[in-house]
Amino acid sequence: MTPLDRESLLRKACRAVLTRAVRGRLDRGSTWGEALLGEYEVATGRWETLRWTASGLRLAWRERRRSARAAAATPIRPAARWLRRTVTVAVVLVLAGVLVNWRVADVLYVPSSGMSPTLNPGDRVLVDKLAYTVERGDLVVLSPRVLGTSPTSDRLVRRVLGLPGDRLECRDGKVFRNGAAADEAYLDSGTRTDCASVTVPPGSYFVLGDNRGSAIDSRQLGPIAAGQVVGKVLLRL
Amino acid sequence: MPRIPNTSPQTVRVLAALLADATGWHYGYTLTKQTGLAPGTLYPILMRLVEGGLLTTRWEPSPTPGRPPRHLYQLTADGLALARERTSIRDSQVQHTTAPRMAT
Repeated sequence: MTPLDRESLLRKACRAVLTRAVRGRLDRGSTWGEALLGEYEVATGRWETLRWTASGLRLAWRERRRSARAAAATPIRPAARWLRRTVTVAVVLVLAGVLVNWRVADVLYVPSSGMSPTLNPGDRVLVDKLAYTVERGDLVVLSPRVLGTSPTSDRLVRRVLGLPGDRLECRDGKVFRNGAAADEAYLDSGTRTDCASVTVPPGSYFVLGDNRGSAIDSRQLGPIAAGQVVGKVLLRL
Repeated sequence: MPRIPNTSPQTVRVLAALLADATGWHYGYTLTKQTGLAPGTLYPILMRLVEGGLLTTRWEPSPTPGRPPRHLYQLTADGLALARERTSIRDSQVQHTTAPRMAT
């Protein structure tokens, strides 16, 4: 390809780009856009071609912004515009809230007394749904499916006593983990816990409700699969 | 302090180039060559001058069919007056700065 051909290709390409910018899909663009298209034809050489194209594009862009702003400024009554803006913001907030609620965080009303005295019915807790790690002593939220009820029933909050591999047993009403007594200062004094010995299998947790007298937990249900853990309690609201 | 319109050095250059042929019609391309300004600088100036009634425009159809017409510009009476005024200010400023300093 001779230099002349290559230049023609550049000129053709720039002309196409410039024309598209000035005219869009119409036959004619703005006055000044057309003026630049006219002078473009007289420009010679690669440098001039590029310069005129660049200037033309900038001009076309500015013209478009100006006409867009003029169109936008056509009076929609300030009250109507405010209303539309408010509605847009509200919709965006609702969608964001739904998204967050679904995947990120949630507020849970404690439904039962299974975690007394730590959490009582009517307490609200903030649930972290993205939590990756579970530690001993964490309060976790469990899917109602652990009880065999539908997923739309109340969720359970329980405390993690054993991680995979831990050996849990109950002696004299106290919980022992891996041979050592678990420190359970959160229990009401005098609370007794009775459970069967179990080694927590991989991928599950041994959970107990703080209200040892009435809670249904791993004593009856066995270790809970990690997949049933919906989130971690961050704090009480 | 608000800027006085049509006093930028680039604008004065354009006015001077237009004044060189005070009653004639000028092409945009020629003006870029005469002023040394890029089209992106020149055309906003031309747009302002036209909006201010200092320049009038016309179209000249292209000799090659299918090519867009060319835009031409001519100073109006107001434009002529302004051009003369601005260029004379500039020339007198230039004289002041290049006049030899008198030893005191």
